[in-house]
Amino acid sequence: MRKSIIRRFTRTPEIPTASTADVAFLLILFFMVTTVFRATSLNLKIVLPKAKSTERILIRRNITHIWVDNNGRVFIDDSLVPKERVSSKISPKVAENPELVTILNIHSDIEYGTVDVILDQLKESRAFKITFATEFGG
Amino acid sequence: MELRQKKKYQAAIPTASMGDIAFLIIIFFMTTTVFTREKGIKMLLPEKTETETKVKPENVVSILINPEGALKLRATGYDGIDISPQQYSEVRRIVEEKLLERDTLLVVSLKTSKDAQYQAMIGVLDQIKLAKVVTQDGRELKANKISLIPTSEE
Repeated sequence: MRKSIIRRFTRTPEIPTASTADVAFLLILFFMVTTVFRATSLNLKIVLPKAKSTERILIRRNITHIWVDNNGRVFIDDSLVPKERVSSKISPKVAENPELVTILNIHSDIEYGTVDVILDQLKESRAFKITFATEFGG
Repeated sequence: MELRQKKKYQAAIPTASMGDIAFLIIIFFMTTTVFTREKGIKMLLPEKTETETKVKPENVVSILINPEGALKLRATGYDGIDISPQQYSEVRRIVEEKLLERDTLLVVSLKTSKDAQYQAMIGVLDQIKLAKVVTQDGRELKANKISLIPTSEE
């Protein structure tokens, strides 16, 4: 009786994992490099007023922003809007979402007249929930 | 003759788990990243109506801010007292006093001059928001009725 001596060698299947680390680090670096924060791209000079009663705003949805820079220019959604026409920008948003909270990022040295016009515009567009953005302190 | 074979150790750093570590870092930072939270003072604007809401004069603390940031405060017992920009905390004291007296009926009306600085208005609003008293029956009272009078209104 002869025994076949051909050795059967079993192959274990393998997935090369040596480069997964490289892939992952590449992802980290890619997102680190490409992330751009929005406020900086607008390049507005806004110093928020200081207030001791500043609260953190917990909601993250239903928020829209109005920016007013040191020259009294009003920005909504990255575009310059005349202050008398704020409601034309905000009204459609309120129609879409009645729970909308408008955050007013207004430079602290602005004359109140400008703020008054914006508040009036907001009332007109029925955006009643507002927040004056402020910094802690004062 | 000795024929002992010298064993050769090959130095190696195990890299199999590097990928796991890297992904762990990605996921850790993804979940812990909090984008700058908004901070501010909340307000609720009134509806634009023609009908006037009548408030009894004794329930009102009325504050006027002039272009220099100085205040004129009127309330029962305070007949148009002047408050300089350095004394804004006086507003809080008076509002607290009135809160105890008038309870939830108190209305604080804030009228700011067109030429006043926004910071002055926020400074006064801050003081009104800071006012907080505890009544004798243990309720916490805050000045919730704050009305920002439009500058066009006389």
